[in-house]
Amino acid sequence: MSYIVPIGPYHPALEEPVHARLITNGEEITDAEVFIGYNHRGIEKLCTERNPIQTIVLVERVCGICSHSHALTYALAVENTMNMTVPKRGQYIRAIVAELERLHSHYLWLGIALHIIGHDSLFMHTWNDREAIMDILEEISGNRVNYGMVTIGGARRDISDETRVHVLKMLDKIEESMNRLRDILLTDKTVALRTKGVGVLTTEDAIRIGAIGPHARASNVPVDVRKDAPYCCYEDFDFNIAVWDSCDVFARVVIRVLENFESIKIIRQALDMLPAGKINLGNKIPRIPAGEYMFRHEAPRGQLCYKVVGDGGEYNHRVSIHVPTFRNAPTIPTMLKGNSVADAGLIIASIDPCFSCMDR
Amino acid sequence: MQLYQTQSYQKLSITKDEIVPVAQKKRAEGAVLAMIHAYLEDDGRANVSYEYEVPGGIESYTVEGESVLPSITGIYDLGAEWPEREIMELMPITFEGVDTSKRLFMPDSMLSGQGQILVTPMDELTKKAHGTEGGDTK
Repeated sequence: MSYIVPIGPYHPALEEPVHARLITNGEEITDAEVFIGYNHRGIEKLCTERNPIQTIVLVERVCGICSHSHALTYALAVENTMNMTVPKRGQYIRAIVAELERLHSHYLWLGIALHIIGHDSLFMHTWNDREAIMDILEEISGNRVNYGMVTIGGARRDISDETRVHVLKMLDKIEESMNRLRDILLTDKTVALRTKGVGVLTTEDAIRIGAIGPHARASNVPVDVRKDAPYCCYEDFDFNIAVWDSCDVFARVVIRVLENFESIKIIRQALDMLPAGKINLGNKIPRIPAGEYMFRHEAPRGQLCYKVVGDGGEYNHRVSIHVPTFRNAPTIPTMLKGNSVADAGLIIASIDPCFSCMDR
Repeated sequence: MQLYQTQSYQKLSITKDEIVPVAQKKRAEGAVLAMIHAYLEDDGRANVSYEYEVPGGIESYTVEGESVLPSITGIYDLGAEWPEREIMELMPITFEGVDTSKRLFMPDSMLSGQGQILVTPMDELTKKAHGTEGGDTK
């Protein structure tokens, strides 16, 4: 018998508001629909009433996890509109914070996924490890959520030599712990039973729908803006694009584990090669000239797009924000089909969604 | 002197009749549709950009002053359908052939081209809350 099972928009199993309508035949999901927009805050409109420095403060609050990514992408779009050349040290610091943000975001998702799977001891272990990354972010920026590290023309805070040495030591410990976590995740029976063969998104479907970020890479699609269109000196760093070909929830777990190692590799290189010199171009409030620029940054969940339109005035003429979840959420119905209702929560969570971020 | 790489952005103006041929050409070349962006100018004219990923950056094909456009969901599937539906719900811009029988982004009660969401300024809200419209809110 066919039933419609509504999930959300506000539901104990969801971290953020989204509405999914599952069409089921018994326990099996035969079709699904997703509806968004429950946390629209009018941020794009608010941007048109702020200057670029005020906008950085605002867009950092689009997301509570990848706040640096939003500020960075906006700044990069503005700087490119103005043909600014940011000091290299500033770019390196931006990349370091971006990779730390990716680390803590991936750890956060792994913890949530393990909690949904029912492996709460490993969830707590994961989040304990994440604390070390949050401590590093706090040491560098003074903050744990909105880091305030980006300004138009560079970074707002420098990294002292003492902090640099300390962070490198902390990374050794994080990597050691990550090795342990990897061994458990790849061999644990509970994780395998709940994730292998669940929520499959084939490579063809991922390309057809336009999935991006770790979600696409877990479907064996090697896309990564850091490699495809480098920025923030990513071309200086030696790192790999992690891909996995099982295309299921297990692949999404593995990808995030592998990417954590790559992020650690990038942070180490950036700290070792940190160029001397200025970190920004000074404290000026720029006016965005008439024109437009769209910039993409590989945020923890995938490609983040900011399109900034200027008219030479004090404020942004228009700002358009599209987050990775907007590209990955359309894959949810495809992944849900043929799976059990009991796995719906895990499958939806497997894209590492940020619905509030998407609703902006 | 360029010290590092950055992303290129090339804006190209096209007519509404060129939207589908460009999308077909880009799809055949294997280009990814990064996003469809739209906004209204202050005089109400629509500005819609189709942003395609190219090596090292973005090629943006922009249509200006047209509020009824052909859909490219037949070419880019859901990658185009979600942006088109979102734009249709937020702004008085229509993509022909897109199913609008169900909402994606806006509440059901605000379907059928209700226009762009307008943010009521905080001072107006404060005035209304305190019943001091036209007076000092401090």
